[in-house]
Amino acid sequence: MPEDQTAVLSVLAPPSLLTVQDLGRSGHRALGLPAGGAMDPWALRAANTLVGNAEGSAALEWATGGGLLRLEGRSALIALTGADAEATVDGAPLPLDRSIRVPAGARLRIQGLRRGQFLYLAVAGGVDVPVVLGGRGSYLPAGLGGVAGRSLRGGDLVPLGAEPANLPTTGVILPGDLRDPLPPPQGSVRVMAGPHGELLDTEGWERLLGTTFTVAVTADRTGYRLSGPPVVTGRLASLPSEPTCPGALQLPPGGQPIVLMADGPTVGGYPTPAVVCAADLGRLAQCAPGTTVRFVLIDVPEAQRLYRRRRVAIDTLDRIIRGPTSPTYSSSAEQMR
Amino acid sequence: MAPPARTAALSALSLVPLGDAAVTIVLGQGIDLDTNSLVHAVVAAVRAAALPWVLDVVPAYASLAVHYDPLHTDHVTVMAALETFTRATLESSELHQRDVREHLIQVRYDGMDLDAVAATTGLDPEQVVALHCEPLYTVYMLGFVPGFAYLGDLHPALVLERRAEPRASVAPGSVAIAGRQSAIYPLRTPGGWHIIGNTVFRPFDAGATPPCRLAAGDFVRFIPAKSRT
Repeated sequence: MPEDQTAVLSVLAPPSLLTVQDLGRSGHRALGLPAGGAMDPWALRAANTLVGNAEGSAALEWATGGGLLRLEGRSALIALTGADAEATVDGAPLPLDRSIRVPAGARLRIQGLRRGQFLYLAVAGGVDVPVVLGGRGSYLPAGLGGVAGRSLRGGDLVPLGAEPANLPTTGVILPGDLRDPLPPPQGSVRVMAGPHGELLDTEGWERLLGTTFTVAVTADRTGYRLSGPPVVTGRLASLPSEPTCPGALQLPPGGQPIVLMADGPTVGGYPTPAVVCAADLGRLAQCAPGTTVRFVLIDVPEAQRLYRRRRVAIDTLDRIIRGPTSPTYSSSAEQMR
Repeated sequence: MAPPARTAALSALSLVPLGDAAVTIVLGQGIDLDTNSLVHAVVAAVRAAALPWVLDVVPAYASLAVHYDPLHTDHVTVMAALETFTRATLESSELHQRDVREHLIQVRYDGMDLDAVAATTGLDPEQVVALHCEPLYTVYMLGFVPGFAYLGDLHPALVLERRAEPRASVAPGSVAIAGRQSAIYPLRTPGGWHIIGNTVFRPFDAGATPPCRLAAGDFVRFIPAKSRT
């Protein structure tokens, strides 16, 4: 039953990077403000859908494992998705990829991440921090959004929204097509030719698509540097800065690719021969430093088909969880904002 | 706008997918104010048209990006619509009127690189200041971090390569130059530009409306601060 009490997640022990994230803020790129949002938007959508939230509701994002939180004020329906984490509630193992009700006072502990890099915790009602410039997510470079524009610290209280009146069926397990085959050793990420695809010659394309790259330790929310033999040896043509986007695979001097991620810049000057498709960007985000990655070339129509297929899968899950006769379910368009 | 710039932009016009949720519209390959002005005209026209699938429009030097939702349309439709739209905008007799502002920004010219810039360019620090204050700058675009405005064109006598070693941390309000551009650092970030002064002007404030005081296409004039503070 919904309860009116104010509920918070109290941070007892913070992990190294814990932020509030949603699906990002659009409409401000002309100011140099990236959309940001969840590094693995599919995992965020899945977590929200499992607990009956709109898919873009704000949730918590762990960038590595660790940390201890306590739920205060009321019980809550929660779901953990994304990275494969060892998690416990009051000492009992907490299953991933399904919704579960936890009681008021429950202590949620996240141990290390076994695979993947980003873990999401959605709570029915969502994380209720103020909307800043169209989004609730933390954008750390400018210190905005989330809780005080920074990573959560010990003692922080994360406000939760009221639990929706019509809660979904609990215990539903995330279907396989919404769980990314978690990365490598054999994982591949699909790319399209980018704005400067023609700057790469045949050998360059062969190296880009034939190399097994390793995600470097400098990978963060801004971009993933990939190490491997250089894709190009000489310097590609110099270009004035052009608009860019998350997923853009840039080749800086040195020829080792950088893929821009959620908080990456809105414009950039490095040649961009390829762009990671939106359907697979979460999969790349889940490649922790040291993970190997290979790229596979597809065309834009195929990338858009993959994207739509995953959106439809989220919608279908939403429908299953809410049940066909649920009075609160109106249309998928409304869910998508 | 001079007709040659429009003719050049029309012949250079190309649209390329920027991934599966954006398109880049290229109007040229250089950094010049005429082409950039056309970029702002097309940006303004696309925004004014309020096309239902457009999520964001982003100007750069000689190109712009239109972000869209691939759930509601596909790239073939988007590319065709935007090409038609951009051609019509470039060919129309009157470019879209934009709301352009002029900003007067006071600068304390005591930046840590002022003397080095003077030495490298063979000028006195006073001459560097005078030349930096001479142009009416245009905001080519914003990027790098929120509120970072690329201002041009800098006086040719002040053109320098970026510092060989970027600084790990540059203070907000630092007024800097590099290449043919000047800028004000809006946030504490790494930076490789030459810092010649400081200002109390803060280009970005997430709590303000609008959050950014400088918009692409705006004009900026620098003047020496009246008193040292």
